[in-house]
Amino acid sequence: MSTDPTWRRDACAIAGIGTTRFSKDSGVSVTALAVEAAAAALEDAGLTPADVDGVVRNDMDLVSCAALADGLGVPHLTYWGEAGPGGSGPAAMVAQAVAAIMSGQATTVVVFRSLNGRSGRRFGLSPVVTPEVGGNETFEEFFGPYGLLSSGQYFALMAQRYMTETGLTSEQLAQIALVTRKRANANPAAQMYDRPMTLDDYFASRMLSSPLRLFDYCLETDGAAAVVVTTTERAKDLRQPPALIRSVAMSTCRHPQPGLMYPTLMRENITVLPSRECQDTLYSRAGLGPADVDVAQIYDCYSITALIQLEDYGFCKRGDTGDFLADGQIDLGGSIPINTSGGHMSEGYIHGMNHVVEGVRQIRGTSTSQVEGAEVSLVTSAPPPAASALLLVAA
Amino acid sequence: MSAAPAATAATPDTPRLRPLVTERGSAGFFSATARRRIEILTCEDCGRRIHLPRPRCVHCGSTNVSWTPAPHTGTVYSHTVVEHQVHPLFPVPYTVIVVDLDGEEDGVRLIGNLPGRAEVTAGTPVRCTFEDLGEDAAGNPVVLPVWEIDTERASSGTEEDA
Repeated sequence: MSTDPTWRRDACAIAGIGTTRFSKDSGVSVTALAVEAAAAALEDAGLTPADVDGVVRNDMDLVSCAALADGLGVPHLTYWGEAGPGGSGPAAMVAQAVAAIMSGQATTVVVFRSLNGRSGRRFGLSPVVTPEVGGNETFEEFFGPYGLLSSGQYFALMAQRYMTETGLTSEQLAQIALVTRKRANANPAAQMYDRPMTLDDYFASRMLSSPLRLFDYCLETDGAAAVVVTTTERAKDLRQPPALIRSVAMSTCRHPQPGLMYPTLMRENITVLPSRECQDTLYSRAGLGPADVDVAQIYDCYSITALIQLEDYGFCKRGDTGDFLADGQIDLGGSIPINTSGGHMSEGYIHGMNHVVEGVRQIRGTSTSQVEGAEVSLVTSAPPPAASALLLVAA
Repeated sequence: MSAAPAATAATPDTPRLRPLVTERGSAGFFSATARRRIEILTCEDCGRRIHLPRPRCVHCGSTNVSWTPAPHTGTVYSHTVVEHQVHPLFPVPYTVIVVDLDGEEDGVRLIGNLPGRAEVTAGTPVRCTFEDLGEDAAGNPVVLPVWEIDTERASSGTEEDA
């Protein structure tokens, strides 16, 4: 395996994690959610707002870095930044915090994502309200007029093509929803905690955009999640056992296409995602490979998104993936247990940020579906426009 | 490539979601559809397609690019039957198709909409017609390329690129 000699492994760590309640209606503003999650992360680390000098946000967040610092009572920020697009962002947001710390621009960085994704603007509905669609470099003028107007429809096109190319069956695809639901059933904070699901339940769920059913979709969620990033040296003196950032990676693919999502239908192959390039950087920086990974939080806005990333991060090979899923390999006790909090499909959709939090819990040994002896924890943030990922390890 | 078929006019009682036809990056495409033609931005130096349109050739970097005719036939690359309504102008069910233009390199695709739960699979042949959506507020013609199953080719079983 090639290694990247310029990357500094384990120099920074995640020292604190925090979340709000995940719900369909938070009853409060996204700023209130962001402040609550960030304050919880600081409390978890044993730090105060006065210790914070950096903030990183998601490019789709409604809360600015200054607004978070203001609401939290941070006296002085020396660094702020953002990453995205959207769900491709959270691991890259942590990478920004690392970059700020390593370059001496900050010492203690809060990374957050906050959204009222159900009671506010719903991700599942089209945001188009004008009689004309497109413009502003979105290129949606090529897509919207045909009724291609939601992310679910886009991922359905990806899933249909994937099934055509590989012969994947709906029963096999269902494993993603079924396994992550079991993890949620063990996690009292998950929105689907008390809602078990059988294969019959899966097939009884409404087809929303074929071949994807309701339970192939994530949960539009109100909530926020935050982490505190600092140097490993400092993190070791704080309240919690640190989750060392072994490596970070961000990646686009060749000819990624402009805009956000629909234009990626014009890539040569729509079943190949930028996570394929991301894993090269991630593993070479870490000096680790897929066989070393004990547990993974795989971005799962839809079942198909998680499925393709399982291949991209090296856990299974295209053509065998359906059998890999049916064999229980992503379940607890399988070769790569995934989304142990329930993930976006059954815990809540905090746009990738709750995956970072759960990845840290696995290193601490505090997950509600703990993988025994987990030492290497993968967190991915998703395609289609770009990808980013983290490998966390114990000190 | 065939002679341009007649356009179907949108009627006032069937409001449609119109494409913005005046964006600087993509106006050339809609200027061609207004003439009942499909044109794709093409590099005059390396000859390759630049789709979606970009400021310069993404293959060789040339700025010597122009809108060049493309086929009015294709095959279905992927499809989805939409059963859950997300926009008031698009009652369900309807079928969205992604069309590979015949004889083009991978990625030269356009989107289509077929009524109801259309019987299509990857490789189903389709052909382009044009739908006149009237004019935008500035008086520019808005003509949308739309796709229908090419029943002649579908029944003869001579699918290309299937």
